[in-house]
Amino acid sequence: MTTDSTPVIEDGARNVTLGDRVQEILKRQEVTLVGVILVFGIIITVLNPVFATPSNILDLFRATVVYFVAACGLTLVVVAGGFDFSVGSAFTLGAIGATWLMTHGVPWPVAALGGVALGFVVGLINSVIIDRLRVPPIITTLGMFYFIAGAVVLFTGGRDIQPLPDGFNAFGKGTLLGIPVLIWYAVAIGIIFHIVLQHTRFGYNVKAVGGNLDAAVANGISRVRTNAWLYAVGGAIAALAGILYSARTGSGQVSAGGSTVTLTAISAVLIGGTSLFGGVGSIAGTALGALLFATIQNGLAIASVPAQYSNMIIGAILVIAVAVDSYRRRRSLLKLLS
Amino acid sequence: MSDAQGRAAVLTVEGASKHFGSVAALRAADLEVFPGEVLGIVGDNGAGKSTLLKVLSGIHTPTDGRMTVAGAEVHFSSPADARRAGISTVQQDLALVEVLDIATNLYLGDFPKRGLLVDRKRMEREATELLRRLNVRVSSVLTPVASLSGGQRQIIAISRAVRLESARVVLLDEPTAALGVQETAHVGEIIDNLRDSGKAVVLISHDMEFVFEHADRIQVMRLGKTARALRVSETSRDEIIALITGAKQL
Ligand SMILES: Nc1ncnc2c1ncn2[C@@H]1O[C@H](COP(=O)(O)OP(=O)(O)O)[C@@H](O)[C@H]1O
Ligand SMILES: [Mg+2]
Repeated sequence: MTTDSTPVIEDGARNVTLGDRVQEILKRQEVTLVGVILVFGIIITVLNPVFATPSNILDLFRATVVYFVAACGLTLVVVAGGFDFSVGSAFTLGAIGATWLMTHGVPWPVAALGGVALGFVVGLINSVIIDRLRVPPIITTLGMFYFIAGAVVLFTGGRDIQPLPDGFNAFGKGTLLGIPVLIWYAVAIGIIFHIVLQHTRFGYNVKAVGGNLDAAVANGISRVRTNAWLYAVGGAIAALAGILYSARTGSGQVSAGGSTVTLTAISAVLIGGTSLFGGVGSIAGTALGALLFATIQNGLAIASVPAQYSNMIIGAILVIAVAVDSYRRRRSLLKLLS
Repeated sequence: MSDAQGRAAVLTVEGASKHFGSVAALRAADLEVFPGEVLGIVGDNGAGKSTLLKVLSGIHTPTDGRMTVAGAEVHFSSPADARRAGISTVQQDLALVEVLDIATNLYLGDFPKRGLLVDRKRMEREATELLRRLNVRVSSVLTPVASLSGGQRQIIAISRAVRLESARVVLLDEPTAALGVQETAHVGEIIDNLRDSGKAVVLISHDMEFVFEHADRIQVMRLGKTARALRVSETSRDEIIALITGAKQL
């Protein structure tokens, strides 16, 4: 490692060129994913042209956006080297909390904020358990997942909450420029999370903490503060996803969320190229991961392939995506040692 | 606490102790360093050099002891505190985030902002200028640290410590461990420049020749204790080695 063929010293660093930036972009998982989605979409369209109709594409998007919203916070958590199993429960809690409040005299916008706040608090509690009690994130959030799932059923007696106020239903059901508002919300949330991760100090800190915790801390980044925000925002956005889902379906459902949301969100994040090893990941990747997930489910259904196959394919893609990430890591490590 | 020219010490430690469970890594260690001087610290592996430096840089809170910066007593509870007090550090493990690029690593914990967002352009431009000024050769500041050699990483970590212009004290833990002859000389130049610009430098190194060439005073550590610092002109390699091995009492 000490002797390097190119001398370390001599000229300075050269200026960053357009070519450097293009190269960086082409190396990204997002580019691969766009290709995979396109190829898959074309094959399905050949089998059944219904797939490529605007109404089916919109359906496909609508089915995926709530998962994507829940996965936005999870992306940041995973980039920071953490994990959050409790997103599905935060989703349910947000939906039940907000709809309960709005059916008990609280104006719906306030009730929705209340639901988001519940998710925020759940995340804060996660981070306190992780940082103060030193319980690994996987265990902490899995425990939280079960705890909330039980509490929600206890609280509601297993009954869905409805009817909901008209204003709230309209908030989740309308269209803008022919596209469901839900999709617009998801796009707006995705853009905000992208900016937070890629362009704010918080986002840079998240990557540093995930890439090398000791190095981040030695350079003055606070792990405790970063984690508190991460898990709190992760919980809040998962709750918001649950609330959006309630607005779309017109009821606060006890069975919405749970393990389906957790597993779909985790799959979207990992297929999207966010590394379980920390430090690397993107919201665009997560969006594409969620889209691939939905494309496979929708596409295979349209091509009359039984649902079991789509689960098998998604399982295989998940493993391949993480294997690719692991290979990339190893290759850069090998290059380093040689 | 003033040197021959009557200057006050910029950083002092008195009686610093640090225990890890039953291991006493530091036992009442003392240190003082003045503006415009290089204090070399030498000692065997496990003597407590890195632990002392981690106390000075806010990574470890000492079990016991008193620390001052520019005459005022300080208590660091995090590396951010030490940095705010004007202490800049190159840790022995370099503290780089391998998956991030050079520019980002140079600004860890201190990213330039423009409004709410990190000023990426300025960060890249200033990182490029910094490396150019220090004559550090890398393909571009977008290169991930993971693809650099050990020597290149060391130079990046040193560049980062030098970047902090508000720093009054620069702490270097084995800054030349992974470097070849030419690169070591280059780091020596950087250290000389820091001294000439009036900063206080604490230099931990195994390389006796390097220490004698660049330090003004040398302080030996042994088994968690510090000896009185000796002026380079008033000591010899033999004396220092005797102190390190314990042949001569601290
Ligand atoms: N984080 C730690 N936990 C436990 N023991 C440690 C830790 N850091 C250092 N030590 C112990 O403290 C002693 C001094 O270590 P160190 O300061 O790294 O020595 P040096 O840098 O002089 O080689 C050693 O015995 C080492 O094993
Ligand atoms: Mg050491």
